Amino acid sequence: MTTSADTGGWVGRSAPRREDARFLAGRGRFVADLGDAATLHAVFVRSTQPAARLLGVDVSLARRQPGVVGAYTGADLAEDAGPLPTLHEPHPGFAAATQFRMADPALPCLAVDEVLYVGQPLAVVLAHSRHLAEDAAELVDVRYADRAAVTDATEALRDDSPVVHERLGDNEAGRIGFTLGDVDTARAGAHLEVTETYRMGRHGAVPLECRGVFATVDHRRERVEVWTSTQIPHLVRDTMCRVTGWATESVRVAAPDVGGGFGTKANVYPEEIIIPVLARRLARPVSWVEDRAEHFLAAAQGRDQVHHTRLAVDATGRILSWEDDFVVDIGAASLWTAGILANTAVHLLGPYRMRCVRVHGRAAFSNKTVVAQYRGAGRPEACFALERSLDHAARELGISQEQIRRRNLLTAADLPHRVDLPYRDGVPIELDGGDYLACFEACLDALPRAELTRLRAEHPELAVGYGVANYLEATGRGPYETGRARLGADGRFAVAAGSASAGQGHQTTLAQVAADALGVDPAAIAVVNGDTDAVADGIGTFASRSAVLAGNAVDQACRELVSRARQLAAQLLGAPEARLRDGVFEAAPGTSAPGDSADSTAGAAGTLSWAELAAALGPRGTLADAPPLDVTVRYRPLTVTWTMGSHAAVVGVDRETGLCRVLLYAVAHEGGTEINPMIVHGQIVGGVAQGIGGALLEEFRYSADGQPLSGSLADYLLPETTDLPPVRVVARHTPTGANPLGVRGAGESGTIAVYAAVAAAVQDAVGAHVTATPITPAQVWRAASREPALGRAG
Amino acid sequence: MKPAPFEYLRADSVPAALAALAEHEDAKVLAGGQSLLTLMNLRLARPSVLVDIGGLAELDRVFSDADDVLIGALVRHRRVETDPELRALVPLAAAAAGHIGHVGIRNRGTLGGTLAHADPAAELPLVMVTLGATCYLESLHGGVRAVPAEQFFVSYYTSALRPDELLTWVRVPRVRAGQGWGFVELARRHGDFAMAGAAALVELDSLGEVRAVRAGLMSAGETPLLVSGPDGLVGETASARRWGELATEWTAELEFSEDPEYARALARVALRRALTEAEARAESTPEAA
Repeated sequence: MTTSADTGGWVGRSAPRREDARFLAGRGRFVADLGDAATLHAVFVRSTQPAARLLGVDVSLARRQPGVVGAYTGADLAEDAGPLPTLHEPHPGFAAATQFRMADPALPCLAVDEVLYVGQPLAVVLAHSRHLAEDAAELVDVRYADRAAVTDATEALRDDSPVVHERLGDNEAGRIGFTLGDVDTARAGAHLEVTETYRMGRHGAVPLECRGVFATVDHRRERVEVWTSTQIPHLVRDTMCRVTGWATESVRVAAPDVGGGFGTKANVYPEEIIIPVLARRLARPVSWVEDRAEHFLAAAQGRDQVHHTRLAVDATGRILSWEDDFVVDIGAASLWTAGILANTAVHLLGPYRMRCVRVHGRAAFSNKTVVAQYRGAGRPEACFALERSLDHAARELGISQEQIRRRNLLTAADLPHRVDLPYRDGVPIELDGGDYLACFEACLDALPRAELTRLRAEHPELAVGYGVANYLEATGRGPYETGRARLGADGRFAVAAGSASAGQGHQTTLAQVAADALGVDPAAIAVVNGDTDAVADGIGTFASRSAVLAGNAVDQACRELVSRARQLAAQLLGAPEARLRDGVFEAAPGTSAPGDSADSTAGAAGTLSWAELAAALGPRGTLADAPPLDVTVRYRPLTVTWTMGSHAAVVGVDRETGLCRVLLYAVAHEGGTEINPMIVHGQIVGGVAQGIGGALLEEFRYSADGQPLSGSLADYLLPETTDLPPVRVVARHTPTGANPLGVRGAGESGTIAVYAAVAAAVQDAVGAHVTATPITPAQVWRAASREPALGRAG
Repeated sequence: MKPAPFEYLRADSVPAALAALAEHEDAKVLAGGQSLLTLMNLRLARPSVLVDIGGLAELDRVFSDADDVLIGALVRHRRVETDPELRALVPLAAAAAGHIGHVGIRNRGTLGGTLAHADPAAELPLVMVTLGATCYLESLHGGVRAVPAEQFFVSYYTSALRPDELLTWVRVPRVRAGQGWGFVELARRHGDFAMAGAAALVELDSLGEVRAVRAGLMSAGETPLLVSGPDGLVGETASARRWGELATEWTAELEFSEDPEYARALARVALRRALTEAEARAESTPEAA
């Protein structure tokens, strides 16, 4: 293995993932792997009705079943845990600038008086096995008085709609709006105006590992230890303490290995509160492992937006004004209403020169499953509305998809680009990209339209189309993340952060960051994250934030550790100042006094290794009374880090059946410094896969009366490897000055623009304007039947 | 997703399995478990007794004579798909088996299981109807009865099997010289339940004229449907246009519950493509003179 000196650093190298050795050998440790023979297994009884008053929940028969230890209703546990509070509120400056407001749905952990969606937990049964618990759960008698269900967000906002939360009076979960420039005047002078309604269906993460919680009471330490499959253990801990009244120090929350999150696990769930409540009540370990059927009913979903748009352009396709009035179906509740509304609204700006913009958005409650921030969280929806509108205008003007984008993309001359609007953190938006137009051209170079000739020849049975789309993305939202670095007794290091890896490879990347700061090999660094014992507070992993936030937090902690170590090393070296070079301390040039009273700890030629420093700090060392080298910092970025990218898709359509297949794909993105290019590449390709799923296959469908219709993996279609094209990725390294590492988030870059690019390619193939996702075969077949002559041209 | 309680019996011979089925009226036969166990885990099926025939090696055998292949009920889909002998003798079944789920499912799922499950969206039921196969059903008190595949499938998930009967063997006509086959399945992903699917056999004479046509559809009704009429194109020289017309004619009377216009279009496309494939294969394997 080479050292950092050979190549100038670990950051930037595609180091193999340290996690993979255990994952590939089946030695990962997930929630379902925890517990022992004494563990009680929980099964939640869930509402079968989308909207009903609860007339009674009778658990007495269930309680008497063999192997059952307890059965509890919402009323039984209401005093133990209050309703879940929102996880995020925007900065007052942003709220004022966007007339933002939102309602607090205050959903109880277990339903007490009413149920608001199918799958809502309303009772819980504990038994010696999952089998016995399921047998007993069937015997819980629930009596419902059905109410009219709300299943359409637009209808929900009408005055005569039934109301989901009667306490709130109406179904508005939140609203946002802003205007930039003089929209009406700009539009009055337009050559062309296109209006349309765009819809993105409800879908979500559906990770390989469903959710799960294991809780056990440590009587010796007088605390409850909770292992949950989450991206945000600290927020789970904080929320748990808030709704139960428990002291922070009486709870440990940790994420074991987590098999995918994508935002659905960046949430706090009733089950994460109830399981520790029961462990405490019974002083027994309790486990709940969500099965796939539950996951489809009760894990947070995403998207589900409708956008009414109006784009005005001049004769050459330059944007004059852009208006969007959107509605988000937030389900029965969301702890992330603010995030989704604000993300959608702000990302409607796109990577374009846009001076006159009017955005208005509302979130509506419905009797559907709760919603969280699924990978992109408003950005794919905003991107779809804007990019499809650009295609619409281009088509009306008779210019290409590429031309209209070239005429509007921000170039190096335009950047940095100030927008007269604060971001959600209250800081004015300033896009610090490199050259968005150049990024777009790079994408077109990676997958030129000319390749259609070859692909059409290879697939004579298909109508083959080409589509492009651009995205803009705020990544690395604050307010902070915690980083910690500690020198161990053996000269090795322990590094920790408030982030929590759900497969992103933080053990690898955070070690790479720390290795450079400490001047050592990553193998000398143990990385722990996702544990409230590792750092006392933190935020977690979502919003493409961990490379930016946790990465810089670890970097800062390590640099602070080095700074303190240098003082101690100087003492040992008998020099006024020491410096760290290639992982070894030496007297700083011009400061050493050779032959002076250098401590005997110091090695040959007046140098000192980390191991020697650690030994000196040991109980018998010369620095035994110095405080240990253990640094915790909070890294606070000034604001978000912006990124941008371009996607191109080639889609083949079987005109006779409407079946679509993505044949080839390309992404060029303005990432910053890449800590591990292989991992970033994996994020992009995986993101494209999830985007293709959302564009073509995935949908949580509901009947008109609120019953979920996508209850299994036979109904909810995930993209499989055989459905995915080769993805060409061009990383345009565009470091940013917004953070010391110069990194930009990349977790959502692969997903955001897929919907728009695939829709554009389908449209190119069959001719019809594609305005909704998922793009179903029946839809495409109808479009192709209507427009038999189109799709083969250009 | 745990099954409701049930009693489990593992049969060590066909007679023992038949005895168990005779004794327990509510028993279900467990073979590969690829449909039954899912239904049980969802508690949509709640048999009180499971009779596991997975250990009956005698039913995991294949015999052939000059006309037919006799396939045991426990032969796995993966074997139908990949076994050189079966690929040569019943290539239509081999091609269709490749569309069943994924390899892991095909490694466990059995021929008898998929026929007994009688899902109208399943591949091998359609193949057996199209090939004119015969199912052998055995019971302790009734002995063996032979039921043509066309009569075996009764309705959605309902076959001619009586509660005490076990499907033991299937007799399948071998592919003949001059006969071509086609199988087309339309699904959003490989391995999904078919939106539409068709199997076809076309036999040409030495002059290239159609001697016989047999074709069926999956996902087009309560059972796999044989849709070919007695003399479609017989005596004619086939063409793409004629197959298309035939496909239109043979799908015209079908009834679909969901989006019938689209469902019929898909059935028509699948059928036309299967017929066209079958004819092309028949041309490339001309009848021995």
